[in-house]
Amino acid sequence: MMSQRRGIHLDQSELLCKKGCGFYGNNAWHGFCSKCWREENQREKQKQIQEDWALAERLQREEEEAYASRNQKAQSQPTITPFNKFEERKTKEKSSKVHTVTKFFIPSTKTPPRKDAASLDTQSSPSPSSSASRHSSVDSDHATREFIDFLKPLKSGREIFKQCRAFTETMVYKRDMAADELSECVQDFYQNLSDRLQTQFKGSSDHVESIMDEVEKYMMTRLYKEVFCPETTDDENKDLAIQKRIRDLHWVTIEMLCVPVDEEIPEVSDSVVKAITDVIEMDSKRVPKDKLACITRCSKHIFNAIKVSKKEAASADDFLPTLIYIVLKANPPRLHSNIQYITRFCNPSRLMTGEDGYYFTNLCCAVAFIEKLDGQSLNLSTEEFDLYMSGKASPHWPQTSGASSSSPGGTAFNQVHKRLDLLTGLGERQERVIEKARQLESDLIDWTDEVEQKVQSVLESFSPEAQNPAATAASGTTSAASSAIDSDNVENELLPPPLQPQVFAG
Amino acid sequence: MAAGGAGGNSGRTYSFKVVLLGEGCVGKTSLVLRYCENKFNDKHITTLQASFLTKKLNITGKRVNLAIWDTAGQERFHALGPIYYRDSNGAVLVYDITDEDSFQKVKNWVKELRKMLGNEICLCIVGNKIDLDKDRHVSVEEAESYAESVGARHYHTSAKLNKGIEELFLDLCKRMMENAQAEERLKGNGASQSASSRRGVQIVDDEPQATPAGGCCSSG
Repeated sequence: MMSQRRGIHLDQSELLCKKGCGFYGNNAWHGFCSKCWREENQREKQKQIQEDWALAERLQREEEEAYASRNQKAQSQPTITPFNKFEERKTKEKSSKVHTVTKFFIPSTKTPPRKDAASLDTQSSPSPSSSASRHSSVDSDHATREFIDFLKPLKSGREIFKQCRAFTETMVYKRDMAADELSECVQDFYQNLSDRLQTQFKGSSDHVESIMDEVEKYMMTRLYKEVFCPETTDDENKDLAIQKRIRDLHWVTIEMLCVPVDEEIPEVSDSVVKAITDVIEMDSKRVPKDKLACITRCSKHIFNAIKVSKKEAASADDFLPTLIYIVLKANPPRLHSNIQYITRFCNPSRLMTGEDGYYFTNLCCAVAFIEKLDGQSLNLSTEEFDLYMSGKASPHWPQTSGASSSSPGGTAFNQVHKRLDLLTGLGERQERVIEKARQLESDLIDWTDEVEQKVQSVLESFSPEAQNPAATAASGTTSAASSAIDSDNVENELLPPPLQPQVFAG
Repeated sequence: MAAGGAGGNSGRTYSFKVVLLGEGCVGKTSLVLRYCENKFNDKHITTLQASFLTKKLNITGKRVNLAIWDTAGQERFHALGPIYYRDSNGAVLVYDITDEDSFQKVKNWVKELRKMLGNEICLCIVGNKIDLDKDRHVSVEEAESYAESVGARHYHTSAKLNKGIEELFLDLCKRMMENAQAEERLKGNGASQSASSRRGVQIVDDEPQATPAGGCCSSG
């Protein structure tokens, strides 16, 4: 009944897409068909994005103006005005950039004959970026909350937070400054704050240090995007250059670097893998301290590998070559940027005297060594080095002999080859076993046949005696059978007489 | 910059960074292991590594944190030296008394350090392995007169017999403390008499007042 009434209420046209494209619409898509809904939805999204941009720009301009006027009031410096002008120009440039971006989006939505894949692309392209920014804001919100929680029990917590937040906000406007100046600002801030903590709030040095750790964590989580690998530097190019350099050096072996590590031992190769993982993981951290912790963990794994291989505590003579080897194997992403970021924004006391600082320094050394590496430092002649670098020869080829051919993987490949050899050996043995089994089977069959034949022949020769009782038991035997028994009996008479015992004299 | 992190206040802890330099196999690692853990060629390895070691000292009532940085001694890593000894307060230059070459290396290091760091850094020249005195190839007089000529102290040690090592590091610490105090006094006279407020400024001393931005943001 219900369905009937509903059926009466609905017109055919109501079921169709609002746009009149002829397809059926759906309530979930506001009465559009799936295709039209996608277009409509996208248009709305674009509008929203544009509005958001406009709002953001307006807010930024206002804030910058406020900041500029405050600055001018605070200290009437002649240098600040040109700088601000410069900044304004930059923002103008940015806004024009934004326009081009929107322009780029609009035609793509308007072009009617577009393939589904393309539309999906344009649809999905804004969402990851927005989700990324949301994600980062979630991250920094999280950091803020943690920071506040940490500061709550401190009596000077409120002031520390205020200062840090104010400083972080001003830093955002300085993103066009050279990276070194940014670093200078942050380091100044660290220094001033820790000084104040020590003198004004009379904190013990351990306590001050723990506060400074949190300050660094909070500020750097928020500033990461602005100050990591900034556009004003050529960090990115250097990253790529190092990456390429390490890739070109793939042929360097443990022996050339004199690395005292024996990867045949499972525990050692395990440590090596862990070290590689840790040094790669460094890129995923935001706070300099966390990045340093990755390097330290990597170093500890290296020490373990050396200790197990050499059975003695690792010295720097062992450590540095091994670290170089690990870096070559890992080829960590954005290595140069990460090093620069840590140098610029890490709490200086940690870098100068702490254990983390030592490992970080060693990493810097490893990178410097890799950059300047030549034939001499690997005990190779220049010609050999050039040959290997150009890929015309490999140090592995001359050594290879028959089965134990190895490629850049070095010992790992050796192991694989050994295992493969073992496997083929096992296969051969298995085949031999199967063959033998087959032979045995056929032997068995032959044997049973033989036995059967023998039995048959024996039966044939002894059948009268054997069949006689059987025949009587069956009680329905033919006369032919009985005659056969008789004939057998006749044959029996032909047999030689039984042997008689004889006595030999003497 | 060199005394950075040293703090310097009489009530505060000094922390010093000391680099160990010298050719491979002269016994740098043994020396520092003996000093920090009192071990020599120990078969029971409890220490994971001997390249970065710390020692806490109490010298005339003042606390000192010593961080000793071992360096790779192989010739191919020589060029990396500046990365290691940057910001260090002291350097221990080790040679093997049975090896003339290793003493030559020490001379090279001294030249380089004086050129790069000037007189800020305390240098110790250490002739190790005096238990092998019968094979001595570097004469005592030569070594000591050389050390004096470059403003360094000379020590004889044996990591094996645990001789002279405590004295070496204790002496070095005292000298580094004197340096830090002298620098502090200089700073105190130069900048402000009330030496209590802005001590740490020395860290960013490289850029003379070039960062008004830093000042304004911390105040605003």
